[in-house]
Amino acid sequence: MISLRTDLPWSGDSASRFIPWLVAIMVFLGTLAVSGVAVFDTILSGWSKAVTGTVTVQIPALPADSEQEANQARTDRAVKALKDLPSVEGVRVLANTEIDALLAPWLGERAAASDLPLPDLIDVTLVDGSTATIEALRSAVTTVVHDAIIDDHRLWFEHLIDLTEGFRLLTIGVALIVTTALALTIVYATRASLAEFKEVISVLHLTGARDAYVATQFAKRTLSAAFKGSAGGLVAGAFALFAIGLLARNVESGFLPDIGLSLGFWVLPPLVSLFAATLATVTAFITVLSTLRSMV
Amino acid sequence: MQIFKPPETPDGTAAVELKNVSLRYDDGSDVLSALNLALPPGSFHFLTGPSGAGKTSLLKLLYLAQRPTMGSVHLFGTDVTAAARRSLPAIRRKLGVVFQDFRLLQHLSVFDNVALPLRVAAAPEPEIKSNVTELLSWVGLDNFMNAKPAVLSGGQKQRVAIARAVVNRPRLILADEPTGSVDDAIAMRLMQLFIELNKLGSNIIIATHNEQLVARFEYSRLALADSALTELPPLSYRSAAESDQAINEPQT
Ligand SMILES: Nc1ncnc2c1ncn2[C@@H]1O[C@H](COP(=O)(O)OP(=O)(O)O)[C@@H](O)[C@H]1O
Ligand SMILES: [Mg+2]
Repeated sequence: MISLRTDLPWSGDSASRFIPWLVAIMVFLGTLAVSGVAVFDTILSGWSKAVTGTVTVQIPALPADSEQEANQARTDRAVKALKDLPSVEGVRVLANTEIDALLAPWLGERAAASDLPLPDLIDVTLVDGSTATIEALRSAVTTVVHDAIIDDHRLWFEHLIDLTEGFRLLTIGVALIVTTALALTIVYATRASLAEFKEVISVLHLTGARDAYVATQFAKRTLSAAFKGSAGGLVAGAFALFAIGLLARNVESGFLPDIGLSLGFWVLPPLVSLFAATLATVTAFITVLSTLRSMV
Repeated sequence: MQIFKPPETPDGTAAVELKNVSLRYDDGSDVLSALNLALPPGSFHFLTGPSGAGKTSLLKLLYLAQRPTMGSVHLFGTDVTAAARRSLPAIRRKLGVVFQDFRLLQHLSVFDNVALPLRVAAAPEPEIKSNVTELLSWVGLDNFMNAKPAVLSGGQKQRVAIARAVVNRPRLILADEPTGSVDDAIAMRLMQLFIELNKLGSNIIIATHNEQLVARFEYSRLALADSALTELPPLSYRSAAESDQAINEPQT
């Protein structure tokens, strides 16, 4: 057990009084941010941009007055481009009768035989374990047929993944900002206390104290204040996570990966508190040393 | 008082030496001008002069709170004129300073104030307890160990300041008007403490403008006037036997 005996008049010091509150708020925010990163990581590892199975490519029909051969050429170009992709196993153009069968519920029998400009449909079968994305397929096809359309559903999902990755980066940014803000505020508070204790510190120096002796007293004081604060922030953060976990349970299962149950996840808040207390203590120590040294 | 045993100074080196020292504060003229001085190990001196003569300034040069504008300061054979910041603690642990305004820490008890030089040097707590307790009873403050300085009289504060200055067995004791706030009887008792420490080998310099006090002892005098030393000490060590005489037969 370290001794918290001090030679400095902390009870009369206003600058250090808010350190427990500061650390509590930072631990709370830090806990949320770090947990957010963990949640997004879990979600993203459950989701994959890679396309599996089959994808349907539509080649829209040209205006009715254009030639039949032109439509056929467009489809052939798309088929060739798709076949050239290493991730594509097979390509099959749907026959008119198959299209009729697909459209029958909406347009009635023999729709394909009518004058309606129906698109050609290409079924693309992908190689097992392929990592190709919809974007890759799309760019391959649209270079040869600029208005080809691919499976919007998959694309929407890809955008969702991008968005989630964006949120993940954002929460990492928030965690970094909270860390910086904590360190900077400790630097400021420590400097203010040093100014307030100027006379006492001068007596300590004149009686033979090293800078490290003064710095250690600041570090001990900051450590005990930060521990109080981080305990509070930890409790508040854990409560918030628990509440969010309950809300997330109501989201249709399967869409969101199961989070909040793993042990690893609940280790994060105590780690954040420990980190915050250590950061505050080390920052105070270094600030005292460098400030005293610059006083000469 | 066997706890006070300063290490020996090597033969032939002055304990305190000033070479051509001048001091000028930011603005004005020289407060001290071209001082030369060499005090042998174990000496005892009064530093006298009217108020404003520069006694406190001279002591500040010696405890390195002030650097000279010119010249050099040597302590125990080492040039400390331009001592690096990190070497100051080791030098200051060989010094005991009684500040004119005491500079007690108001939020600490009498015990903790006196313990300060030992604590900053990381002395073990049991040793701190026995040394501080013994010293406080010597200066007659054993009933005030847990009191805060605010409740003490001027004379009591002065005794706390002296106890703090000598608790770490310093080789050089610099006392700035150490008997300024106490009555005659206590002044004589405090002087006896300094004499005891001097017998054990500490160099003593007592700044005072109390001529009566100076006259009671036969210690040589460093007299400051017009920013110069007008009375220089003989470069010889006055033996303990001679100084005993001075206390036992005080003049009135
Ligand atoms: N920090 C300082 N800045 C400017 N002038 C000072 C300072 N300290 C002392 N002085 C001046 O130096 C002179 C000597 O002061 P001091 O050393 O305190 O004398 P003494 O202790 O003999 O009374 C005085 O004129 C005083 O005003
Ligand atoms: Mg003075």
